[in-house]
This record gives sequence, structure tokens and C-alpha cells, in this order.
Amino acid sequence: MRAITLLAIATSVSFAQDTRGRAADPLGRLDPSTRYAVEMLMDSARMVGLPYGPLESKALEGIAKRASSRDILVAVRRVFRSLRDARTALGPSASADELAAGAGALRVGVVGSELSHLAATRNGNRLTVPLVVLADLVTRGVPRDTASLTIFQLWLHGAADDDFLGLWRSVERDIVSGTDPGVALLNRAREIPAKGPSTAVPPATGVRPEDAKS
Amino acid sequence: MTDEFDSLDPNVRWIVTEARRPVPAAAAARARLIAAIKAEPVPSRGLRLVTWLSEPHRFVLPPLATAALAASLVGVGVLGGLAINRDGRSAAVQLPAVASGQPQLPDSLSPRAVKFVLIAPQAASVALVGDFNGWNSGAAPMKATDGTWTVFVSLQPGLHTYSFVVDGSHFVSDPTAPISPDDGFGHRSSVVLVRKPSL
Repeated sequence: MRAITLLAIATSVSFAQDTRGRAADPLGRLDPSTRYAVEMLMDSARMVGLPYGPLESKALEGIAKRASSRDILVAVRRVFRSLRDARTALGPSASADELAAGAGALRVGVVGSELSHLAATRNGNRLTVPLVVLADLVTRGVPRDTASLTIFQLWLHGAADDDFLGLWRSVERDIVSGTDPGVALLNRAREIPAKGPSTAVPPATGVRPEDAKS
Repeated sequence: MTDEFDSLDPNVRWIVTEARRPVPAAAAARARLIAAIKAEPVPSRGLRLVTWLSEPHRFVLPPLATAALAASLVGVGVLGGLAINRDGRSAAVQLPAVASGQPQLPDSLSPRAVKFVLIAPQAASVALVGDFNGWNSGAAPMKATDGTWTVFVSLQPGLHTYSFVVDGSHFVSDPTAPISPDDGFGHRSSVVLVRKPSL
């Protein structure tokens, strides 16, 4: 009985230490130098008021996907830079979710000025969903200019989150069916009723947001 | 007990009395019942073990062993369910506010139960990983019904990145959700926005 008692104590202590270790030190599986660099980036983000959760998440994602230390560090640095640029573009009032979504849009090639145009016309509305949809569309092959301008026009004309999500679903379905991504977006965007001052949907290329606003 | 019975409504007393009256069994029926019981085969050793395991038993533990077992269970419960982030915030997984029975958080901070689904008939196992569980493939295993894998996860309102892990090593994005731009590791992840409740 004494042996069983000792075994129970040892097992519980071991399990608890293991669980606590994993939870309290999620980056413990990184090699020391990579971990140090990642934590420096996280501390830097915290110091400048950026959300550092996406940095830690990116490192953990890399660990889960068995990426090399170098790739993990490159990815974390990239997230840090894109978060910083997203805040520059979206302004200091942007929420953590908007920053994360904006950072994603920047990472697929959307330029900061296009995010700034969206932010300048937000009127208190959240940009998270439009930015997520924008990044997704570009990732799926919609030309960046077409995607940016279409999202901007819809945003300007009062499209709501559900409109953007519905647009995304329709375009994704059309792309899977073989439609050209840019054409799919323009066709589907025309189906969204305007809630703002204009119903115009931009041509596929060549018109910048500043032109569209005027 | 008698006082309580006497205080009941007469109709209720009559019903109780009738319900308590033994039901007379015919001698032939009793004989058939006993014969049927005797005809049942003796349970096998395995069945007896299952029966034994499924029935209540009394165990006697000395006080020291009882205290040790209690301490170990408390240790597992406290330390196993608690996680501390870098900034000291508790990251213990929270149940949906409606199910916790605990004082609720402000509504905008309450976690939401989100259902994730992946149709993968050929998969032997599927798990959900994401920023909400530290990309730990053991944190949210999914259950299959006819090839459709599902799991409910409590998520805080906000933007979350996630992926499915099929058969322990294949990362698969959610075909029903927007994809995140680039994970930098050769796979695409998905994005879910858990909305705050409208006030």
C-alpha cells in the first residue's frame, strides 16, 4: 500500500510538472538563441504597444509544423513588421484584430496606402472582416488592385460584414468552378446592393482608391 | 412518517395505499419465472469481470493513502487546468458562460462556443489547432461521424487563426473559411472571427 501511495504521489507530481511546464513555457521547444530572438521581438512589440500574441502564436505554429528555427524566426519577424506597418496605415485607434487582419493584407501585397484609405472612411465601423476578405481574395488569385479597389468601393458604399463574407463565399465558389478570380470578384460585387451614395463597382484595374473616392 | 402520511389529502392517501399494496402473483407465474432464471447460462469470466467493474464496491484505504490520493487529485486538477501566459494572465480554458454556472464575465469578454467541421472520410484522426490552444494538436481532438469530424471550442471574441491536423501530421486549412495570407511554413491556415454579441 505504501508503494501505491508513493507511486500515486510521484505520478501526480510528474504529470503536474509536465503540464505546468508546457503551459508556462510554450516556447521551451525552441532552441535558446531562436527563443531569445522571438522573446525580444515580443518584448519589442509590447514596448511599442503592438499585440504580441500573434508573434507568440506564429512561433508556436512553426513549432507545431516542425519548421526550422530559422524559418520560425523569419516568420515571426515578418509578422512583427507587418503589424507595425499595419498600425502605421490604420492608425493608433486600430484594434488588435484590425491590426492582425491588416498585417495579413500587407503580407499578401496590399500596400499601406490602401489600408489607410479604408481606415480614413471607417466612421467607427470595424475593418477586420473587409481586411480578412481582402487578404483571402488576393491569396486566391484576385489581382491585388482589383481586390483592393472593389473592397474599398463596397466599404465606401456601406457594405456590412455579412456582405463581405457573402461576397467571399460566392467568389470562392466561382473560383473553384473555374471562373477567373478577378472576374468572379467583379461579377459578385455587383450583386451587393449599395447602402451608401453610389453603386459603382470599379473596373478591374488602373483606378486607384483616391480616384475612386472623387 | 405516519404524521406526514396522515396529513395528506384523503385521495392521495388512498393512492399511496393502493400503490403500496403487494401484487399477488399466481403460483404458476412464479414457477415460470424461477425456471426462466435457472435456465439462464452462468456468466462467463469476462462478463463477470465487467459486471464486477460496473457494480459499486467498498474499498478501505488507510488515512495516509486517502490523504495522498486526495492531494494528488487536487494537484492534478489545479496544476493541470491552469496555464499562465508570459504576462501572468491566466489562460485556463474556459467553458461557455452559459454552461459554467459561475458568475459570468462581461458579455463582450465571454467565450463563445464555436463549432469546427471537416469532412475527411479517409482520415484516421483529426485535431483542431490554432492560436487559441497554442497549436497543440492534443488540445482539441475532433470526433467523427460518418467521415465528418467536428469539435466545439470556446473562443474569446476576436480574430483567430487555425488549422486542422489530419492523421497527426498533415495540416489542412478549413475549406469553409477565409484563409490566412501566409503561414511562412509551407501551409495555409484559416481565419475565424468570433464576434462580440450585439448589445
